[in-house]
Amino acid sequence: MFPADLFPDLSMPHLSILFLLGLALFGGTLGGKLFARMRIPQVVAYIVFGIILGKTGLNVVTEETLLMLQPFNYFALGLIGFMIGGELKTQTLARYGRQFLAILMAEGLITFFVVTGLVALVGALFIEQRGLVWALALLLGAIASATAPAATTDVLWEYKARGPLTTTILGIVALDDALSLMLFAVAASLASVLTGSGSGGILHLFTHPLVEIGGALATGALSGLILSLIIKKQSQEEKILALSLGAVLLVLGIAITLNIDVLMAAMALGVMIANITPRKSREIFSLVEKFTPPVYVLFFVLFGAKLNFGNVTTFLAGMVLVYLTGRTLGKMAGAALGARFSGAPAAVKKYLPFCLFSQAGVAIGLSILAGQRFPGEIGNIIVVIITTSTFFVQILGPPMVKMAIIRAGEAGKNFTEEDLIRRTRAKDIMDTQIPLIEENMPLRKVLAIVSEHPNLYYPVVDPNRKLIGIITIDNIKNTFITTGLHEFLLAHDLMESVAFTAEPDSLMVDVKAMMQDRQVDYCPVVSRNGRLEGFLESRSIQRLISRRIESIHSGEDRT
Amino acid sequence: MGIKEAVHPERVLLVRSVSKREALLEMIQCFEKRGEVKDIESLKEKIFYREKLMSTGIGLGIAVPHVRMEGIKEPLVVIGVSGHGIEDYGAIDNQIVRIVVMIVAGKEQHQKYIKLLAGVVTHLKRPGMIEKLVNAADTQEVYQAFMGADHVSG
Repeated sequence: MFPADLFPDLSMPHLSILFLLGLALFGGTLGGKLFARMRIPQVVAYIVFGIILGKTGLNVVTEETLLMLQPFNYFALGLIGFMIGGELKTQTLARYGRQFLAILMAEGLITFFVVTGLVALVGALFIEQRGLVWALALLLGAIASATAPAATTDVLWEYKARGPLTTTILGIVALDDALSLMLFAVAASLASVLTGSGSGGILHLFTHPLVEIGGALATGALSGLILSLIIKKQSQEEKILALSLGAVLLVLGIAITLNIDVLMAAMALGVMIANITPRKSREIFSLVEKFTPPVYVLFFVLFGAKLNFGNVTTFLAGMVLVYLTGRTLGKMAGAALGARFSGAPAAVKKYLPFCLFSQAGVAIGLSILAGQRFPGEIGNIIVVIITTSTFFVQILGPPMVKMAIIRAGEAGKNFTEEDLIRRTRAKDIMDTQIPLIEENMPLRKVLAIVSEHPNLYYPVVDPNRKLIGIITIDNIKNTFITTGLHEFLLAHDLMESVAFTAEPDSLMVDVKAMMQDRQVDYCPVVSRNGRLEGFLESRSIQRLISRRIESIHSGEDRT
Repeated sequence: MGIKEAVHPERVLLVRSVSKREALLEMIQCFEKRGEVKDIESLKEKIFYREKLMSTGIGLGIAVPHVRMEGIKEPLVVIGVSGHGIEDYGAIDNQIVRIVVMIVAGKEQHQKYIKLLAGVVTHLKRPGMIEKLVNAADTQEVYQAFMGADHVSG
């Protein structure tokens, strides 16, 4: 490991920040690709790269740098909240709302009780003061209930998940914040009584989180209303993107100033947009989504850099283990029970218990809050336990989510129109019922066929269905003056040669590009041995792709 | 582009051969001589392929072999008249063929090609045209009969 003072220049503030951002983006992304090849969610690579750069590793990221980049973390969180909000349509909430709530209460409360119990039990062996033990246990229990949306949703998006399990995960991680804030408030108030270090009164501790959550929802919702009114009239993509990002930043700024929950505010903004302007919102979220990758990479790299394992003692390591065991058991049991009692779909019952391990921003934030409110031993223990355990769950959590969504059959099902066009092959949408015309067919017969079909192009084939030419409506038009020749003119005399063909496996993007290049409105689809398999007309390509998207999406919704 | 432009006095011949194949080759030679068609082999192949699909003998002693091919700038016509008639042409009415008008157009000249084909057939079917052509003494007369000023439409 390099001593940090070998590179004193790296901590020069101006150079280092840009350099660091570049390094983080570059290294994180390349690492992510490497990990993706090893089938590990890319977010793990970002965090590991951050750990390498950070306090635990090379230590090239100074405390000031991290502090200076703090607003950036909020930005990332805001985007995550906004994107989650976009997934929460009123139909989804109406359909899954009760189920979400049941699972949320179960996994949150059970985790709280299990962690609190275990920590109290084990803690009592090492710490004499009963009050301190219970305070520690309650605070850790409350913090343990939080599930981090960032790493979880990153996996869902990376693997393009879609389905009941995915929807439930999104719903839970989105609402989870509110519950853990409430639990933390209760725990903190009890802890301050137990340790005798309370300040501000119990009532304040209860009302504050309510204000924080309510204020966040109100701020986000109001901003969403205003933004959707403004954005409705915009048609340029750049303007829509800029306005959306601007709105997210504004909401974040307001939330930080008012000291209300940042994630909830951004989420409420997303929910409003998605539900007020459902049509426009598709465009908005797909634009913002394209903007998010570098922000997420930086967020996770910086997150890793912040982790510090310098002061983990044996006692603390043991407590980390206890905390992790309790939290894992609590989350699994809670999710399983909640899913069972709410009558959730089978995939949710079976796999949700593996999806809620992630812990990050909220947990760390609460641990720091605890550190400030309970200076001294408890505060420090909490910060170290949460930081260290966060490292483990962030490394182990995402692969679990990945495994769950793959087993549940929800990976790779979330298609945007663009994805689908990118993935659509000629065989997926080609017309296989095309009227075939044989080379020696007299014009009379050709006309009879053409008059019965809406097609603009008619492939001419030999008896083995090998493509030899094409008859267009223009060619047909030329024959209007040939009334005497209907028996003598053959398809052969009318047909044109074919400009180009596609294979059944050709990607539609390539086919469309070729059609545009050559300014041809059709493309026969021909197998390697020259047999005509199907036909594409440019006027119907778009319609067929849209229909395919619809059928894929509706097919899933039925499950 | 009308029929007039496609016809040329030097692309008129009195066909000597009695078989369909020989007669068509004789007419194709006409292009070869004048260097108007570069790829004579391809022309032969295409002409015979089209005849194989279906005979171009359209009845009344008329045949109109026709093809499109690469390297032709403007449609060309060869007029062949056979005094004794071609018996094995396989015309639709089983009659011997006396007048063969071969049409060669450019590969992409779909419209001109069909128009010319239709124009030629209509032209040949005008009253008296067949007799005039068959009774012509030499190519000069054939040409004049075919081009007969007030008969040929653009």
